[in-house]
Amino acid sequence: MHATRTALVTATLISAIIFLGMTADSLRKMRARTHSDQISAEVIEGKRLWQHYDCNDCHTILGIGGYYAPDVTKSYSIRGEAWLRQFLKDPAKMYPAGRQMPNFRLEDSQVGALVAYLKWVSEIDTNGWPPAPQGVAREEPGGHRIFLAQHCNTCHAIEGSGGTLAPDLTHIGSQKSKDWILDQINNPRGHKADSIMPSFAQLPETEKQELADYLAGLK
Amino acid sequence: MKHPSQKIAREYFLAALPLFFLQVVFGLLASVKYVWGYDPLLNVAPFNIARTIHLNLLVFWLLLALMGATYYMVADELDTDIYSVRLARLQLWILLVSGVAAIIGYFFHWSFGMPFLEQPTLIKVAIVVAALIFLYNIAMTMFTNHHILTRTTATLMGGMVMLSVMFLFGIPFMGNLSTQYYFWWWVIHLWVEGAWELIAASLVAWSLIKLTGVSRRTVEGWVFAEVALVLLTGIIGTGHHYYWIGTPHYWLVWGAVFSAAEPVPIVMMLVDAVRDLLKARTLPIVNTLALAWLGASAFVHFMGAGVWGFGQTLPQINRWTHGTQITASHGHFAFWGAYGMLAIALMYGILPEISGRKPNGKQALSFAAFMTLNFSMIFMVMALLIAGIVQVYLQRVMGMDFLEVQNHLRVWFEVRLVAGCLFTVGSVLLLWDLFRLAARQPAAEAAAQPVPVPAA
Repeated sequence: MHATRTALVTATLISAIIFLGMTADSLRKMRARTHSDQISAEVIEGKRLWQHYDCNDCHTILGIGGYYAPDVTKSYSIRGEAWLRQFLKDPAKMYPAGRQMPNFRLEDSQVGALVAYLKWVSEIDTNGWPPAPQGVAREEPGGHRIFLAQHCNTCHAIEGSGGTLAPDLTHIGSQKSKDWILDQINNPRGHKADSIMPSFAQLPETEKQELADYLAGLK
Repeated sequence: MKHPSQKIAREYFLAALPLFFLQVVFGLLASVKYVWGYDPLLNVAPFNIARTIHLNLLVFWLLLALMGATYYMVADELDTDIYSVRLARLQLWILLVSGVAAIIGYFFHWSFGMPFLEQPTLIKVAIVVAALIFLYNIAMTMFTNHHILTRTTATLMGGMVMLSVMFLFGIPFMGNLSTQYYFWWWVIHLWVEGAWELIAASLVAWSLIKLTGVSRRTVEGWVFAEVALVLLTGIIGTGHHYYWIGTPHYWLVWGAVFSAAEPVPIVMMLVDAVRDLLKARTLPIVNTLALAWLGASAFVHFMGAGVWGFGQTLPQINRWTHGTQITASHGHFAFWGAYGMLAIALMYGILPEISGRKPNGKQALSFAAFMTLNFSMIFMVMALLIAGIVQVYLQRVMGMDFLEVQNHLRVWFEVRLVAGCLFTVGSVLLLWDLFRLAARQPAAEAAAQPVPVPAA
C-alpha cells in the first residue's frame, strides 16, 4: 500500500516539475513565435472586443472554440484587410443567404481594432496549422478560384454546387456578355434597382476581368 | 444514511437536475441552428449565446452533483456529520445566484469571452468564494476528530483542491492570445484530465465498496495506482493542446507521447469496475440502477475519452482534425461517459438512502430513461463523427470553403438534431424518475417498513 502512495507522490511531483520547466521555456520562446513586440494597444483592444462579443463561441481561433463559423486564425491573410473591414461593418451584405453573423454595429475604430488583432493573430507561428489543402479546389482556374474566394457560391450555384438565393450561373455565358457581367460585378443595382447582391467594385481590376472571363465562358 | 446532515446532498441534486435539463434544451437550440439556413433568433439568442449557456450549464450541474455527492460521501466514509450544513447551503445559494446572473448576463454581452470560462470576473470571484467555503467545510469535516483519512477521501480532497487552484488561471485577461490559451488549458484540460478524474476515481471507488462489498484494500490499492497514472500522463499530456497555438515545436513530441498514454488509467478504471461488479463483489445487488449507470459510465468513459480521444491525439492526425466536428463528437461522448453518467449514478445511489425509498431497478421508467439517453447520445456522437470526417476531407484536404462544406454536412446535422430530440425525451424521463426517487417517503409507507436498528 505504501509503495503505491510513494509512486503517486513521485509521479505527480516529477510530472509537475517537468511541466513547469517546459512552461517557463515555452513562455520565453512564445515571445518571438507570437511577435509579442507587435501587440499594440489597438491589438489588445481588438482582443477585448473579440471577447466582449463572445466571438469565440461561434468561431474557432487557433482551432479552439465553436465550430459553427469559420476559423479566423488566417482570416487576415486569406481575405485581406478590405474584405474584413467591409464584412465586420455589415456581415449580411457579404453573406445575404445562409448562416449569418449578427451585425454588432461596430464603430470604424472598433473595426480597425478587430482587423489589427486578426492581423496579429495571422502572424503567430502555429507550427504549420492549418495545413494547406492538397485537393483540386486550389488548382482551379483563376476565375473559379475568385468565384469561391468571394463566396459568390453562397447565393449562386454552378453545376449544382452553391446557393439558390440568386440565379444559377451554369450557362450564364450563353445568356449574358462579358461586359454585362462586368457591369453586374461593379454595380448590381444598375441592372436591377432592388438587387440584394453586394457590389464587388473594390476587387482589383485583374481579378474582376478574370472572374468575368470565367463566367462568360460558362456556355 | 448514517447522519442527518448528509441530507444536504439531496438539495444539491435537486438544484443540479433542472440545470441538466436546461443544458439539454440549449444544446437542442444550438443544434437547430446548424440545420436552419437563416437563424430567426439571430439578434435575440444567436449561436454563441446558446453554446455558452450549454457549456456553462454542463459544468455547473456536474459540479453541483459532484459537490453534493462529496458531502454525502465524506460524511459516510469518515462516519461523521458534515461540519456545517449552513455553510453548505450558503455555498449552494452563492453558486445558484451567480450562475443564474451569469446566464442572464450573456444575453446582454456581459461575457469574458473565453469558451467555458465566459463568466465575467465578478461572477468568477463569487465562484471562488463558494469553492473556498466548500473546501473549508469539507476540510473541517475531514479533520475534526480524524487524523487519518481513507485513501478515497484523500484523493477526493486532492481533486477538489486541484480543481479550485486551476480555476484561478482562467481569471486574468492576457493581451497575448497564445498565452491566454496556454493557461486556459490549465483550467480545461487539467480539470477534465486531472482534477475531475481524481474526484471521479474516488467517488467510483467509494460507490463500488459500498454497493458491491468489494474489499477496501483491493479498491483503494487501485485508486492510488490509477490516480498516479492519470497525473503522470495527464499533466504533461496537456501538451496535446499545445501543438498549434503558438507554442514551441517540441510539444508535438511530448504531447503525443504522454497523451497517447492517457487511455491507460482509463482502461484500468474500466477493468477495475468490471472486476468489482462481476467477480469480486460480496454483496447481493440491491441498487441495480446505480450499478448499471456506474458500469455503463466506465465503458462510455473508456470509449469517449480513451478511444475517441486517442483517435485524434497524435499530431499527424490532429493537424487535420483539430477544430472540426470530430472534436465535438469526442467532447460529447467523453463528458457524458466520464462525468454525466457518473453524476447520474451517484444520484441513483444516494437519493434512495436519503429519501428512504427503495432503489427499484425494474421500473420501466428508469429503464426507459437509461436506454433513451444512452442510445441517443451514441446516435448523436456517430452523426457528429461522420460530419467531422466529411468536413476534414472537404475542407482541410480539398480546400473547399467552410460554409459550403457546412451545407454538405446538413444531413448529418439533421441526424444529430433527431438524436438531440430523443435525448431531450430521455432527460424528461430521467428527471421524472429521479425526482420521484428524491421525494420524501409518505408516512404510511415508512410506517409499514421495519424500523432500522440504530448502530451502537
